[in-house]
Amino acid sequence: MAGLNAGCWDREDLLSAYLDGELRAGELEEVVGHLDACENCLSTFHAMKEARAAIRLLPLLDPPSPDLGGYHFGDRLSAYLDGELATTETEAVTIHVSACSECRDELQELDAARTAVRALPRLEVTVDLNEQPDVGYRRSLRRTVLLVAAAAVAAATLGFSMMQDDTVTPLDLDNLATRHNARVSVDPGFSVIPASISPSGAP
Amino acid sequence: MPAWEDVARRYGRQIYNYAYRLTGNRDDASDLVQEVLLRVRRGLANYTPGSFEGWLWRITRNAFLDDVRRRKRRPTTSLPDVDRTSLLTAPSPDEVLAQVRLSDDIQSALLKLPVEFRECVVMCDVVGLSYDEIAHAVDIPVGTVRSRIHRGRKLLREMLTWPV
Repeated sequence: MAGLNAGCWDREDLLSAYLDGELRAGELEEVVGHLDACENCLSTFHAMKEARAAIRLLPLLDPPSPDLGGYHFGDRLSAYLDGELATTETEAVTIHVSACSECRDELQELDAARTAVRALPRLEVTVDLNEQPDVGYRRSLRRTVLLVAAAAVAAATLGFSMMQDDTVTPLDLDNLATRHNARVSVDPGFSVIPASISPSGAP
Repeated sequence: MPAWEDVARRYGRQIYNYAYRLTGNRDDASDLVQEVLLRVRRGLANYTPGSFEGWLWRITRNAFLDDVRRRKRRPTTSLPDVDRTSLLTAPSPDEVLAQVRLSDDIQSALLKLPVEFRECVVMCDVVGLSYDEIAHAVDIPVGTVRSRIHRGRKLLREMLTWPV
């Protein structure tokens, strides 16, 4: 590819460090300054961005047995719901959950608990916060608010677990995936991968 | 500092993917996870408090290199597996095919990288380690990590044949 071996800049590796958020103080100025003036390095920069995005698109594979860390995703299901997993891992969870009823049930419970907590009413502050702080009073107020909040969570959870028996709603994986995709689509690194590729060998 | 029984649960998948992307072979990847777990168990007695992950990735990396050296003495050729995971998800056959081919292209390009570049690129882009963590695991200066990742990606981009 033209431009990749230009060798015009002895600090070209800063381009990758820039993509990875690994620059040190003062180096950003150097990178941006050089990219501003050098077409060759600008095209190298884009090539690096594509190579990096390509590897990050590789699917995360599931190890073949639980002894090796395979199968269930457990503590990562909440991150999955919140769209906080890396793309490859999200894909692995989606594949896994569509096949594993245990993780699907857990995901469903997590989603319901998350919804219950998010549905808690916003509490109004009933005291004048501009008043001189009376530390003892404030502290007991905070404790009261916390107690009320804890009680609400407990009530919501209890309510949820009681109603869960008769109202089992099927989990909508598409909906979860859409939520995730909406988040991922803002990452510019992925926009450089074409939707289709040519057969290997042909340019 | 996790108990060693938790290491597989918490890191097994990452170690497996690290190994698979370096070797292109599922059996080798499983073997490496097992080997790392054994070494972690054996090493915990001498573990001095510090970054557990730094320690773990150093063990993983050394286990991988030992395996590479063993193979050099007793060469066996194993063909890289075709990556079929994505076959399970995608709705349209065209998309499936494109994704599988894309993964395969990337994987075979990775396997053609010199191993020093490959391990740094995989630690960065598959495992998600920082340059400092990679420097610690591979036992090289951070500046060398930078240059290996950069040169690795550059070679990789030259090998991939997408239209730009």
